[in-house]
Amino acid sequence: MNVLVTRTERKLAQWRSAGSAPPGAARPRRSRLRPATSVAIVLLFLVAVLVIVVPFLPSYNPYAINLSVALEPPFRSTAHLLGTDELGRDLLSRVSLATRISLLIVTFALMLNVLIGVSVGLTAGYYRGKADTVIMGSADLVLSFPILILLVTIVAVLGPSAQTIAVVLGCVFWVSYARVSRATALSLRSREYVISAVTQGASGWWVIRKHLLPQVVPQIAIMTSFDLGVLITVEASLSYLGLGIQPPTPSLGGMISDGQNYLQTSPWLCVLPSLVLLLLIGGVQFMSQRFTSEGQQSRGMTAT
Amino acid sequence: MSFRRRTLSLPYPLIAITHNGVRVMFAYVLRRLARAVVTVFAVVTAVFFLERLNGNPAAIMLSNTATPKQIATLSKALGFDRPLSVQYLSFVKGLLHGNFGTSLQSGTPALQLVLGRLPATLLLVLTGFIFGVALAMFCVLAIQLTGSHALRNGLLVAGQVRQAIPMFVFGVLLVLAFSVTLHWFPSQGEGSWKNLVLPALTVGTFEFALYLRFMDASFGEQSHQDYVRTAYAKGNAPHGVVLRHELRNVLLPILTIIGFNLGGLLGGSVIIETVFNWPGIGQLTVESVNTRDFPVVQASLLVASLAFVLVNIAVDLIYSVVDPRVRIR
Repeated sequence: MNVLVTRTERKLAQWRSAGSAPPGAARPRRSRLRPATSVAIVLLFLVAVLVIVVPFLPSYNPYAINLSVALEPPFRSTAHLLGTDELGRDLLSRVSLATRISLLIVTFALMLNVLIGVSVGLTAGYYRGKADTVIMGSADLVLSFPILILLVTIVAVLGPSAQTIAVVLGCVFWVSYARVSRATALSLRSREYVISAVTQGASGWWVIRKHLLPQVVPQIAIMTSFDLGVLITVEASLSYLGLGIQPPTPSLGGMISDGQNYLQTSPWLCVLPSLVLLLLIGGVQFMSQRFTSEGQQSRGMTAT
Repeated sequence: MSFRRRTLSLPYPLIAITHNGVRVMFAYVLRRLARAVVTVFAVVTAVFFLERLNGNPAAIMLSNTATPKQIATLSKALGFDRPLSVQYLSFVKGLLHGNFGTSLQSGTPALQLVLGRLPATLLLVLTGFIFGVALAMFCVLAIQLTGSHALRNGLLVAGQVRQAIPMFVFGVLLVLAFSVTLHWFPSQGEGSWKNLVLPALTVGTFEFALYLRFMDASFGEQSHQDYVRTAYAKGNAPHGVVLRHELRNVLLPILTIIGFNLGGLLGGSVIIETVFNWPGIGQLTVESVNTRDFPVVQASLLVASLAFVLVNIAVDLIYSVVDPRVRIR
């Protein structure tokens, strides 16, 4: 009996330490950075250097064509530190500009998504009724399509360009924000302080702005950190298909697609943008993990 | 959601096998299908009008050097010169007859073209999916049965790194390593099993990373449940608890993810098929987009979304059969 108990206890303790902390027993917070977070910081720092510092280099020129130095391998000359592409354009400059453009597009799209999702979700959750049905119905509608083929179709119809892709990406990923905001609004609308505000003559807009919005912000912030990686991936994928940013403007996906033709002779054309994409997405992803696990922790604490 | 998860542990009858249950289930499937058809119709309509808003499709199809006369001739031949409402009516009439119009490039019916590409897509997606899920299941069980932290951390980190690499990047890197450098596998096209290896590996490792994370999290949740403690307290060996008690509860939520994931994969194989020049629906879609072959684009959008919906309905039904606590309303 004794043996059995100890074995069970040991096993349970093992699983507990492997998973999250058991309910009720809040683990002491570690002040040390977790490895994933430090990796994220390093990756994002590299990306930041690429985006912020590289444009100030004397060799920075993403568009200058020079066929005499075409397909130069990396680390051969200081003029083109990371080599050149098939038209002799400086790869480092192009990768830097591509990353900047991608981040701009994705940030714009993300803000648009949050704006649509939160406003729509809070309205639906607070007012209920017909608005709720319509809004959540259209949310289900968006969800009932494989997202990528939907994006491809829309972009194809509207004609591919950086503006199109920013707006389209901004209108497709709002559903999760709407759902979370709606759920929060639903649970808060019957709280005493909200009812009291309404009895004192507060308008719906005021209640949403002052009482509901602040409550969804932390959750939404966590979700954006996750969606950032997703959007970067989707943007790069669409550009790879030739449906995103159009040449001669550089894009990471487009550069990989072009580089595929030279895979035999000049693999760095593909490897370099791939590496940058990996730094970017990996950094964002590891960072978002830190936020999500912290969010879950704090949510767990308020629940108990 | 049309599902209600019962938290009471009452012995609910397995609804799918009772007489009334079959009727309920049938009604449920019909309702879901009807909704799916309405949504797909709405989107196809939206695409139809957006396409026309964007200018004369005939002009878009022809190159920039085409004369107005050429454009007018093509418009007339394809019926783009008629009023929009007439065009739309004939379009809807065609839809109801299962006719999406003919491909502007090859002249064959669009739907037939798309369905012809379906087997290749299914082969690629299912191979990758099964490989990924099986590997993830194996790894998660290995983690649970050995209880090794090093193994768990190593696998989770590997999965995370894989998830940070977009599909097409991973595909291109695989081509670089295994076709260009090592000459082990061909990089393009379809043919022998060797052609399937790299694309299936790209899909499979992605699936592996996804399911590894979910199954691991699911096991982590289950291990704190009372029934697990009871099972241990009764003196069960750890492998017995993992395999007989926890595993089935771990697999239930995974089913939902499979629905979304597999459905999405069927439509989302666009990228991977382009990378490997795999002759599936995705590649056809991209080709048609590039040549402005809108009937084909619409037909593949429809097939992909129907596949997505059907997979999700199937998963919901399997769910209700596997877990009797879940009832269809």
